[in-house]
Amino acid sequence: MSAQPERERPEGVEGPMLIAEDIHRHFEGMHAVDGVSLEVPRGKITGLIGPNGAGKSTFMAVVAGTLPASSGRILFEGEDITRLPTYRRARRGLARTFQLPSEFARLTVLENLLVAAPHHRGDSLFGALMGRRYWVKDEERLVDEARGLLKRFGMSAKESDYAGLMSGGQKRLIEIMRALMLHPRCLLLDEPMSGVHPRVIEQIQFYLQSLRADGLTILMVEHELHLVEQLCDSVFVMAQGKLIGSGTMASLRRQREIVDAYLVG
Amino acid sequence: MNTYYAANLLIYAGVDIIAVLALNLQFGVSGIVNFSFIVFQAAGAYAAAVLSMPPHTAADYSFQVYVGGYQLPFPIPWIGGALAGALLAIPVGLVVLRKLRSDYQAIALLVTSIIANTVINNARPFLNGAAGLALVPQPLENQVDTGTDNYLYLYIGLTAVCVGLVWFLAARIVNSPYGRTLRAMREHELAATALGKNPVALKMTMFIVGGAIAGLSGAILVGFLTVWAPSTWLYPETIILFAALIVGGRGNNLGAILGALLVPVGFEEVTRQLIRMNIGPPNLIPALEWVAIGLFILGFLWFRPEGVRPEPHRIFEGSPEAELVEHVRTA
Repeated sequence: MSAQPERERPEGVEGPMLIAEDIHRHFEGMHAVDGVSLEVPRGKITGLIGPNGAGKSTFMAVVAGTLPASSGRILFEGEDITRLPTYRRARRGLARTFQLPSEFARLTVLENLLVAAPHHRGDSLFGALMGRRYWVKDEERLVDEARGLLKRFGMSAKESDYAGLMSGGQKRLIEIMRALMLHPRCLLLDEPMSGVHPRVIEQIQFYLQSLRADGLTILMVEHELHLVEQLCDSVFVMAQGKLIGSGTMASLRRQREIVDAYLVG
Repeated sequence: MNTYYAANLLIYAGVDIIAVLALNLQFGVSGIVNFSFIVFQAAGAYAAAVLSMPPHTAADYSFQVYVGGYQLPFPIPWIGGALAGALLAIPVGLVVLRKLRSDYQAIALLVTSIIANTVINNARPFLNGAAGLALVPQPLENQVDTGTDNYLYLYIGLTAVCVGLVWFLAARIVNSPYGRTLRAMREHELAATALGKNPVALKMTMFIVGGAIAGLSGAILVGFLTVWAPSTWLYPETIILFAALIVGGRGNNLGAILGALLVPVGFEEVTRQLIRMNIGPPNLIPALEWVAIGLFILGFLWFRPEGVRPEPHRIFEGSPEAELVEHVRTA
């Protein structure tokens, strides 16, 4: 399957990158996500926090399309994507990483990145059967692009190693680079720092800030509140499937209800 | 060793190589555990048979009943066999590959294989039931005397051409960016989906391509054997092909070929030689063959899960490793 863009970015669309309207997700009577509405502004890093079991990951899965919403609407760049399958959302520029490592273990680091590249002539049965000459130009262009990312993320020396043999932190970096190969407009990160060495956390933090400087919109679930404070422009708080507050970390710390629910523990 | 015996061995080797290459595309590269693989080979064999046979009302053929009977000339029955495999893959794939998780897919496909065999075994008017089809015309039998050594050489040649063609197609798929996407899906389907890959479309495509190749292998086999019955395509036949691929090396076309030569061909030969030596009670050796194949699979999965020829480690030009190799070579 070649990953063609399904639609170009609509001209002059401003406002939020992503809007969730009254999202519900039930599992046989259990309300994992119970009427969440939020807006993710463009070019910012938005945090989503909450205690374990608050429904953050379920919400992220609904936004990414991995789980269908029981009800509610999701608008991405002004268009309703609620009924689109995951792969179509990805082709429109909504990329995600996972809470658990999800590298392609028996592919090399470089191959992990190349898989994600859209617009590759060789990435269809027809293109494959046409032979190397048909797609080699695309391959060379994308190898260059992937090597650029590897260099930026300090992993050039690892390009030929199997991704399954990398450390937890390196796998996180691979996932982020892989998502970037899609040229996403919005990146959904599910606990990108969990299980990662403190030194690599600093690295990831630095990269996320530089991605924001490039204009990328990021929505991230994170448990480490000091990281959220440093990274996120604004934060949403979830508890028991509901949104219980939003604002900057500083303002959230002043709201008693939220402090009771989560911040103090 | 007479010519017929050698030809028999070579043609079986060719058919098994084609089949294991197809299974490599499905299981080795894409991760589809197709436990009904043999059904697609059978579909190709039956299709090729009824396309080349005269109607069952014809003299000499009236002892069997079957649909079709079109007396079409070579190579139409072989092409028809491949098409039959591909066409059968569409409904089976649509039912099995869309909603089920991959371990359930494997079980569903195994059950499909057993159901298909039972149905064909008992529905006599369709393809002559348990007795199967006999007197299937051989390719080009009106042009060449099929009783001669030359015909055997011709058949070996035709088989070799098909092996070459399938090898060529399989190599193009495996070594392309498309093959990389298939391998990524095998490694982590959800992550591949989140990168814009449509796993159902990818799996369906490989199911159909593999089905077509399996069908072709069946057509080649039935043209040589001139008989085909449900007892020749029981589900354990699929297990032998899986054993071949696991031993040879999943994800590696050369490994698939090696596995095909080692397991189906090699085991058959060893068994045949042992039977000749009259060791133990009758049926002991064939039964032990299954024990040996089972142990072989377990042994490889335990000690060398990547097989004799592992999936190639793909190093790109200009990488630190590639430059190191270049440096060593020039030094």
